[in-house]
Amino acid sequence: MWREIRDREAGKTRPNSFKNRVSSSRIFDLQLSNYKDVVSPHRGSINSLQVDLTEGRYLLSGASDASASVFDIQHATDFEGGGEGALIAKHKSLITIDKQHQNGHKFAISSAIWYTIDTGLFVTGSYDHYIKVWDTNSTQMVMNFKMPGKVYRTAMSPLATSHMLIAAGTEDVQVRLCDIASGAFAHTLSGHRDGVMTVEWSTSSEWVLVTGGCDGAIRFWDIRRAGCFLVLDQSQSQLGRRPPLLARSAVNKVSTSKALSKGQNISVKPRLPQKKSGSGNGIKHSPIGQIPAKGSLKQRLHPGMLSSQDRATAHYGAVTGLKTTEDGMYLLSAGSDSRIRLWDVKSGRNTLVNFETARLQTSKPIQLATTQDSNLVFVPCMTSVKAFDIWSGRTRVTFRGHYEYVNCCWFSSQDQELYTGGNDRQILVWSPARLISNEDSSPAEDQDNWSD
Amino acid sequence: MSVWNYVVTAHKPTNVTHSCVGNFTSPQELNLIVAKCTRIEINLLTPQGLQPMLDVPIYGRIATLELFRPHGEAQDFLFIATERYKFCVLQWDAESSELITRAMGDVSDRIGRPTDNGQIGIIDPDCRLIGLHLYDGLFKVIPFDNKGQLKEAFNIRLEELQVLDIKFLYGCSKPTIVVLYQDNKDARHVKTYEVALKDKDFIEGPWSQNNLDNGADLLIPVPPPFCGVLIIGEETIVYCSANVFRAIPIRPSITKAYGRVDADGSRYLLGDHAGLLHLLVITHEKEKVTGLKIELLGETSVASTISYLDNAFVFIGSSYGDSQLVKLNLQPDAKGSYVEVLDRFVNLGPIADFCVVDLERQGQGQVVTCSGAYKDGSLRIVRNGIGINEQASVELQGIKGMWSLRSLTDDPFDTFLVVSFISETRILAMNIEDELEETEIEGFCSQVQTLFCHCAVFNQLVQVTSSSVRLVSSTTRELRQEWNAPSGFSINVATANATQVLLATGGGHLVYLEIGDGTLTQAKHAQLECEISCLDINPIGENPSCSQLAAVGMWTDISVRIFSLPDLNLITKEPLGGEIIPRSVLLCSFEGISYLLCALGDGHLLNFQLNLSTGELKDRKKVSLGTQPITLRTFSSKNTTHVFAASDRPTVIYSSNKKLLYSNVNLKEVSHMCPFNSAAFPDSLAIAKEGELSIGTIDDIQKLHIRSIPLGEQARRICHQEQSRTFAICSLKTHSNAEESEMNFIRLLDDQTFEFISTYPLDTFEYGCSILSCSFSDDSNVYYCVGTAYVLPEENEPTKGRILVFIVEDGKLQLIAEKETKGAVYSLNAFNGKLLAAINQKIQLYKWMLRDDGTHELQSECGHHGHILALYVQTRGDFIVVGDLMKSISLLIYKHEEGAIEERARDYNANWMSAVEILDDDIYLGAENNFNLFTVRKNSEGATDEERGPS
Repeated sequence: MWREIRDREAGKTRPNSFKNRVSSSRIFDLQLSNYKDVVSPHRGSINSLQVDLTEGRYLLSGASDASASVFDIQHATDFEGGGEGALIAKHKSLITIDKQHQNGHKFAISSAIWYTIDTGLFVTGSYDHYIKVWDTNSTQMVMNFKMPGKVYRTAMSPLATSHMLIAAGTEDVQVRLCDIASGAFAHTLSGHRDGVMTVEWSTSSEWVLVTGGCDGAIRFWDIRRAGCFLVLDQSQSQLGRRPPLLARSAVNKVSTSKALSKGQNISVKPRLPQKKSGSGNGIKHSPIGQIPAKGSLKQRLHPGMLSSQDRATAHYGAVTGLKTTEDGMYLLSAGSDSRIRLWDVKSGRNTLVNFETARLQTSKPIQLATTQDSNLVFVPCMTSVKAFDIWSGRTRVTFRGHYEYVNCCWFSSQDQELYTGGNDRQILVWSPARLISNEDSSPAEDQDNWSD
Repeated sequence: MSVWNYVVTAHKPTNVTHSCVGNFTSPQELNLIVAKCTRIEINLLTPQGLQPMLDVPIYGRIATLELFRPHGEAQDFLFIATERYKFCVLQWDAESSELITRAMGDVSDRIGRPTDNGQIGIIDPDCRLIGLHLYDGLFKVIPFDNKGQLKEAFNIRLEELQVLDIKFLYGCSKPTIVVLYQDNKDARHVKTYEVALKDKDFIEGPWSQNNLDNGADLLIPVPPPFCGVLIIGEETIVYCSANVFRAIPIRPSITKAYGRVDADGSRYLLGDHAGLLHLLVITHEKEKVTGLKIELLGETSVASTISYLDNAFVFIGSSYGDSQLVKLNLQPDAKGSYVEVLDRFVNLGPIADFCVVDLERQGQGQVVTCSGAYKDGSLRIVRNGIGINEQASVELQGIKGMWSLRSLTDDPFDTFLVVSFISETRILAMNIEDELEETEIEGFCSQVQTLFCHCAVFNQLVQVTSSSVRLVSSTTRELRQEWNAPSGFSINVATANATQVLLATGGGHLVYLEIGDGTLTQAKHAQLECEISCLDINPIGENPSCSQLAAVGMWTDISVRIFSLPDLNLITKEPLGGEIIPRSVLLCSFEGISYLLCALGDGHLLNFQLNLSTGELKDRKKVSLGTQPITLRTFSSKNTTHVFAASDRPTVIYSSNKKLLYSNVNLKEVSHMCPFNSAAFPDSLAIAKEGELSIGTIDDIQKLHIRSIPLGEQARRICHQEQSRTFAICSLKTHSNAEESEMNFIRLLDDQTFEFISTYPLDTFEYGCSILSCSFSDDSNVYYCVGTAYVLPEENEPTKGRILVFIVEDGKLQLIAEKETKGAVYSLNAFNGKLLAAINQKIQLYKWMLRDDGTHELQSECGHHGHILALYVQTRGDFIVVGDLMKSISLLIYKHEEGAIEERARDYNANWMSAVEILDDDIYLGAENNFNLFTVRKNSEGATDEERGPS
């Protein structure tokens, strides 16, 4: 760290890379926090965790006992432990909504998310078929939506400036968009052949929604248009080849090989066939890339798409988790086939990175988390959480601490802290190690503080 | 309470980050364009050297600077992109000598991860497009249309994750980029892509090269006829094109900058991290590259940019030392260097630390900075204030007043300098040899002290003595008229302008005289209730020779009054308050605003805005200039009027943007000043100092004066100890020959000569992190305390450090005490007679304890946890303000009774701090990672939340 600070002082390190370097070195030091503890009031498994996106200060949790709680993770409610230095900050819930609440959910809360603009509202989705919107300050319900089945996952777009839609994945085959502004359903998106376990908004366009269903399909929707425009296919895997191929084009292959065989010679000639193939490939100029959709989206494939493409699957079995990287260029998916796949969003192809997962939970949606620099993904793997290098798929860290299955994790890039919640009703905080204990008394920090 | 703060830049940026050469201002002229952080400077190459033409501020830090010439244009355009993702294309307008913005826009994307290695901005050599690499995984293209106008930008996906450099290849029928990148196994490769503008995509390029030097970091595209690319690594240089591959090994070095010498690209200058300049030659047979040769030319500042100008002249722009203009000689000098430094351009950056000291004990702070890095490290003494360049001086004791006079009313130059003493008046004049010699004006009374002198209309001069007012012809130098004070009264103070004389005699009599051709007429008389201390009738109205108002300062009731002229009616009476009488008043006007300045006997100055028509005073402001009585005088320099306040701390008062500003003059004590604009000494001032009269010109108003003390090593921390008159620095010497061999020292410097007088070497891997001069309770000695860290290569975060306590004895550093810490000591502060240290995430307070054997030791008293890294600490009373690595500012308080430190408040924003300071009890200033300043205010109403201030 000293070296980085010195380089910043001398103007050798740019602010951004200083931040990235320090953050990533801290991430590799993550361990069960020896100074921070979230006191879980839940009496059921924790299904959902999220820190608000505006201040990075309030953690929202949703649990199977139909309760949802908010914690201040920056400001401890009290401290515990003997002697200075060994203090553990206890973070008790600020508010809790449970079955006793007059408008509380009846069954398990599967999803609890913050309103993306501020912390004045949050949204819970429950197995009792309801999605409820709560006022944080008054802890009163301000709106509810009756869904056709159990709600698995809700999501709001972190980018949205022109809509206030909650995307909801339920037991039903249709994905519904609930509009907070009007209190009604804005759309239903049909395409999945089974329930929808997970929904995720794109981080590059406020109009693009990604959904993963129990039918193994991951579908991309532009909510301004009918039908889905892309279904990910696990067998499409050629990335990085220029000009990019869209699976079948034989013309393409010829031209590519020509270009390659020509090799040494710089000339215009090979360009003609390539140009042709390039324009033929226009479909993959999808709006999910960096170019905001400006009608470059080719309508040809909508709504039916090619039936063969429409049946493509991303996983064998259900898609249980989705997470877009923060730069919006990649999508991570988890499936009940115990695989994690990394997708290039723009081309829609499977990058074939082999993540060394052993087993994943199959019956429940799981919540993945990524770091800000998109180098690591945190995946609940049964009772542990693993951090994988996104580009190589190798396990970098394994977080063991939960006694039962882990359902969800959330990474706060502001503090470089990881929050995990599982069936053992605990919310664990994983933070960069504090190196030095007390100046005078230096007994090793007890790492098992969480268990009391 | 002040709610708003504002920031003023005292000195323009000096760090040269980019430079380029081309025909920018005219097809025939060669220009050097230099980017200094947020400014661009356009220079013209002349046989005499670099001639500055224009210095333009840019809103944003400049990230890329490129000259290019679209088809059909006779001169170059300038492309600038800033770190805020704004770009512009500038063109020179020869008629108005101004810049015209041809195109501008925003190239930011809403999301995307900014590149780690900095922004890249490149222009296709055939001007088909501008390429930008701003975010990881994206290459932004701004195409040109046929007319050279920019079209809408688009992004192309770049799969390479870690791009190190991108350049356009020359001589390609389609725009082609070459990309140097690192894969996820840390191997480095280059790859080429053609940009298909229609499809908005890349097409696989003509060639690629895998597994390069692991330190390959820089690409140099080689222009036709070769059209390849040079890949500069740490140990090899490779020339690569579709069918040629040539490599040579080099001495391990990190090349930071390059400059192309020949238009055909056969020779390049390379500057490395140690400041060595190499010449790289591409040997070729006709158009076929046969090999590479490299030759060491010599040493320069560590270059961040190199621009080959012309005729072996090279501009070396540096971020770590002074930028240089060098000449490359054909023959080596005695040291074997081909490099001759012709000119240096001061660079203050990077300033790692500084201290404010008053070395000359004038009460004027100077900043001593730790500037530069590596071998170019230096101390710079920066002082504000205006310098006087003395041109002539004579010894003269006891000067009581000085006035300059012209021999004719319309003469542009002053001829006479009237110097008044307690019992005589002497007149100096310029003779034919431009020497100052004593002369006489017959009509003047030279046996008494002169109270005032002035030129009057009709080629006359006015002299006021204690007994009379004398009107003298300036041509014949004979007395034309005399007005005598009434018997029993003597004139105490007097003032005059070209047509009017105002004087005051004892008993509060105010007499107004008007000057005619050979006549002095008493036009009005007024009796005031108390004595008059000072007067002024400087004409500031429309008529430059006659004033409508008179300012009068009074004894006894301590007020200043405005009278109308010629009828001497009291218009305004402004009590000054306090007990100090006004000693000098002055009516003056700056930038069209009239002011009344009133200087008090204790060195304070009051200023009022004066309404000329009504005589009203408003906007009273008070400043302290010195401690002695002030005499005010106007003078002009560069056709603007300024006011000189002569006192123990002479000050020049001037106006900028309709605001009065005060700038110190770098002179010790000035009793009197008058402008003396003679033919030999134009725009000069005559200054009476203790026992001396000197004539000198004045520097540019508001200029910082910088003195440089090269160290040959990088100073990182500095502090001054008044008692021992020394500076102590933590410095770091890098040996350029072997990698990573660094030596750390604590050095003691004399604060006058800046010579090293003592050195304490630190252990290997031990770095000085903080330094402080302080004393402890129950100990009269003053110590230097140094905080260090052991930075071991295998450790991410230091786990060991030391606090060293030194005393200066006989000019030597003596180690008195030493305390080991469990981490890096990032900051040290004197705190209630104790020592407060920031050690990694902890704030620790140490007591200074006397042991039984009479020696002292540091004993830890209490601490506070809860920071990620407590990097910056400031204290005030019992309050401690901590700037955290990434958690903004928190406020701690030391509780004496409990002997504990507790958190009082904190800012919950996620600011990555780079400095903190306490502005006052409630307001703290923070600087954060992205070059922003912000303030936080302590919320005194008990709550712990803080309100954010302006940022």
